[in-house]
Amino acid sequence: MKKFVNFLKCALVVLLAAGVFFPFSVGAEPQGKLIIFHAGSLTVPFAKMEKIFETKYPKVDVLREGGGSTKMARMISELHKPADIMASADFKVIDITLIPEYATWNIRFATNQLVLCYTDKSRFAKEINADNWYKILERKGVIWGHSDPNLDPCGYRSIMVLELAEKHYKVNGLFTKLIANRPKKNVRPKSVELVSLLKTGNMDYAWEYLSVAVQHELKYIKLPDAINLGNYKKDSFYKLAKVKVTGKKPGTWITRKGKSCTYGITMVKDGQNPEAAEAFLGYLMDPNGGLKVLKEMGQPPFAPCRVPSEKTKSQLPTSLKKWVEVKN
Amino acid sequence: MKAKRRIDTFFWVAVFSTGTIMVFILLPLIEMITQPSLHNLKETIQDPDVLHSIWLSIYTSGMAALISFTIGTPFAYLLARRNFVGKKLVESIIDLPIMIPHPVVGIAILGLAGKNHWLGQLMQQVGIHIMGTVTGIVTVLTFVGLPFYVNTVKAGFEAIPVRLENVSRSLGASMANTFFRVTFPLAWRSMLVGIIMCSARAISEFGAVVIVAYHPMIAPVMIYERFTAYGIRYSQPVAVWLILVCLVLFLLLRIFSLPKKKYS
Repeated sequence: MKKFVNFLKCALVVLLAAGVFFPFSVGAEPQGKLIIFHAGSLTVPFAKMEKIFETKYPKVDVLREGGGSTKMARMISELHKPADIMASADFKVIDITLIPEYATWNIRFATNQLVLCYTDKSRFAKEINADNWYKILERKGVIWGHSDPNLDPCGYRSIMVLELAEKHYKVNGLFTKLIANRPKKNVRPKSVELVSLLKTGNMDYAWEYLSVAVQHELKYIKLPDAINLGNYKKDSFYKLAKVKVTGKKPGTWITRKGKSCTYGITMVKDGQNPEAAEAFLGYLMDPNGGLKVLKEMGQPPFAPCRVPSEKTKSQLPTSLKKWVEVKN
Repeated sequence: MKAKRRIDTFFWVAVFSTGTIMVFILLPLIEMITQPSLHNLKETIQDPDVLHSIWLSIYTSGMAALISFTIGTPFAYLLARRNFVGKKLVESIIDLPIMIPHPVVGIAILGLAGKNHWLGQLMQQVGIHIMGTVTGIVTVLTFVGLPFYVNTVKAGFEAIPVRLENVSRSLGASMANTFFRVTFPLAWRSMLVGIIMCSARAISEFGAVVIVAYHPMIAPVMIYERFTAYGIRYSQPVAVWLILVCLVLFLLLRIFSLPKKKYS
């Protein structure tokens, strides 16, 4: 009996070792660890997708890491942190930081828009609405903030909304006045952090993505399409907003032009688990799969997802081609 | 002979451990320090933002150490000299800040300071603001540094024979007098070490600070910001400068605190 148990133990060890050393050698079913880097604003929907995906593919263990999109992309390009998938709140980040060295293609899969969040304890919470919000933000004693435009796309997008508001409401000097009432200390590394400041009463109003507001059950003011950066048909107006953000080295600057919020996703070239990555992307882009989850969580998806050219489409793994259309 | 051989083996184990530990600590640090070019380092230290953040780091950690010194010394003395019901509990509580994950510290302090809490309302009425202020940073750093001060100084007090104090008291000196004229001169060195430990802990804090205050930026937050905004090339030099400045500061403090160690 003891011998038999020992034999079992040995067999188990051998099997485990085989599992460790040759994770992809047998079978077509994806398995092993799948590392996903994603924008902080995707945390809640991706957490849900992870659960569903893991019940579909029980052998895959999804490991997610969320943060400012620019930072997450840098983790791949500079620190060479292993990752299989990168999902960015601004698809441009993938184009700029990862392609061509760390990725080949970029799929646009969802949109978002900016809203002004608050709680019922915020100052003037009873008064504020879609018409007077900018007058409230000018008031002394109202503490409002946004995330750091140099680190987080949500940050420069918040500033763009303010610039567009000046043009849209035709109030001269509105932008300068608003920024003057927002001391630097109200700027935070990433937008999701502002949620806890709102909830603890350290802040009255914060600029967030609609999806974040919905997921964290915050109150929010929905802005007109002309300024909320959510409707790609308004891109010609959005691009009038220009924000200076830090460039490649300290002291240098680049200008970002307004554009509708478009999320991009890609597979990292030297990822350790391309099979699982492909399976996850297939699930994500399925209108009844990941896209449905996004929709439920206030993040309107592109159905079908979009790639900019036939060339990009031809570079996709075959199983993913059916989920995308070529549309710029 | 037998005994000697046993010592030998142990000696070599100790040598091996020492080597391993030195390599383990120094290798990553040397790797980082040698990465940036001299030009890079020079450019970085001329950046007023960098200078300001390093200065702010030193200033806020120093303040935290000073506060710990002021309120921590009598407390450590009490712990070293008296037994009371619940002493073990009090000693465990003082260790809590070492164990709690750093962001939790930040979140907890912000939770108190917001206007959804009566304490926060009170503080805001008297004009104390925690979010995004130097006050906030010092508060967080004191929270994380205090245990290091108290534990070090408590051990220092415990090493001083009680009978010296008893002699002083029996000759008519008050408790305060005894403390300042007998205990303090014997314990100041451990207090200095406590201050070093406390400020060293404080200067390295990132997780709790970044939640309470992103701006104004202390050096660790700036290192993080530089990394995210510009990449590793521009964050490393800041880190190198912080390490160098801290190394010099702590070395100086140690030199001042250790000159007369003949009787050990």
